[in-house]
Amino acid sequence: MKRKLILVGSVLSVCIMSFAFTIIQQPKPWPAPEKDAKTPNPVKSNAESISAGKALWSLHCASCHGKKGLGDGSKAAQLKTTPQDMTLASFQTQSDGSIYYKINAGRDDMPSFKKKIPDAEDVWNLVNYVRTFKK
Amino acid sequence: MKKLDIHSSSIPGIAGSCLLIALCFCFCDLMAQKKTVKDTAKKTTVTADTTATPVLPKKSYIKNTFDGNYIIDNQTVMVPIKGTFEFDIQHRFGTVDNGLRDLFGIFANATMKLGFSYTPINNLQVGFDATNEKMEVDFNLKWAILKQTKDGSMPVSITYFGNAMANTQANSVALIYVTTGDRFAYFNQIIIARKFTDKLSLQISPSYSHFNDLQGYLNAAGNPMPIFNNDNFSISASGKYQISEGMALIANYDQPLTQNPADNPHPNLSFGIEMRTSGHDFEIFIGNYSSLMPENNAFFNQNNYRKGQFLVGFDIARLWNF
Repeated sequence: MKRKLILVGSVLSVCIMSFAFTIIQQPKPWPAPEKDAKTPNPVKSNAESISAGKALWSLHCASCHGKKGLGDGSKAAQLKTTPQDMTLASFQTQSDGSIYYKINAGRDDMPSFKKKIPDAEDVWNLVNYVRTFKK
Repeated sequence: MKKLDIHSSSIPGIAGSCLLIALCFCFCDLMAQKKTVKDTAKKTTVTADTTATPVLPKKSYIKNTFDGNYIIDNQTVMVPIKGTFEFDIQHRFGTVDNGLRDLFGIFANATMKLGFSYTPINNLQVGFDATNEKMEVDFNLKWAILKQTKDGSMPVSITYFGNAMANTQANSVALIYVTTGDRFAYFNQIIIARKFTDKLSLQISPSYSHFNDLQGYLNAAGNPMPIFNNDNFSISASGKYQISEGMALIANYDQPLTQNPADNPHPNLSFGIEMRTSGHDFEIFIGNYSSLMPENNAFFNQNNYRKGQFLVGFDIARLWNF
């Protein structure tokens, strides 16, 4: 009986300690400048654009954001900030221009892709592909 | 075998002049291509001040015909985007003939090369390589002359690659260079490629190599006789087939065309896989070429694929964007 009590007590202590040291990370707000947010997407979302965007996604983004934008890429665990789940409405409700701005500008763990993806058309293709994650 | 000065210097001179003229013509066309893009880019900047729909360049080029600078032993048609610095590590192990004795050549003597390249302006890359084979170093240049367009107005991409290589070993009983110029060799290649589908890209690359000074022998009369011609023409065909987003099958076939008085080089057959990430390009393969300088392979390859003289090799590239 005494051993059982010690066991239960230990498990409870571990649970309490775990919660005590857990930092619940809320994503910091990241509003795009109004001018960028209002910039319309000049690339029509079609099969060609989505295919080009998918290739770029696999090359530059999937290792952190995951294959389907869930934020579960192989490098995600090493980041200071957890990548956002891009399938959720909280992400998908922002404008194409906002997503374009964030890809180009970068912030914290998210690098700027201005130099790696210098062509605007490619970035818009990527935006179109990101839209396919919407549930 | 060192040839008469007038002969050894005139051939690369003429070839160089022809190449320069050809490049000048192509340069005009590239400028025209770039002008269109620049003009449209200006329009983009102007319209970006308002929230009107951005205007994209009318002429857009096919991307990622190949994944990196190398396809096994050959250069690809690709020139990295402006500001890219690339560090290459390449290995060619021993031939697999000895089986488990040297673990199929993995523990045999390996040829290694370290390469550094930078793209200071659009479509032009400059580089430096050093290899442990004869302590050779080279300076190289790669120039994207024409690019395949999406609208089909330009059906292929064309790139020039050239290097000047020098043997930096000290003179010895077995190695005597009379002048510094004797140490130099040159490689020039035109690479013509087309991306046929999202998965399949092919390229063909004729090349011309020249060694200023090559080994010869003395005949019975005591006269120096050549083993090799100082000039060599070769042609290569390469292909990539994408099997997943990050992985592709790659293959090369290289055929030396020039016949020598002795020791004709054998062709090269190589194939392997390529894996790419945002900042790396990794290739592992088997093939016949054991050198890491293209002119050495074109002149001296004695590994014969018909006799199974294959070797394992890998190319690793790390890329940074500045």
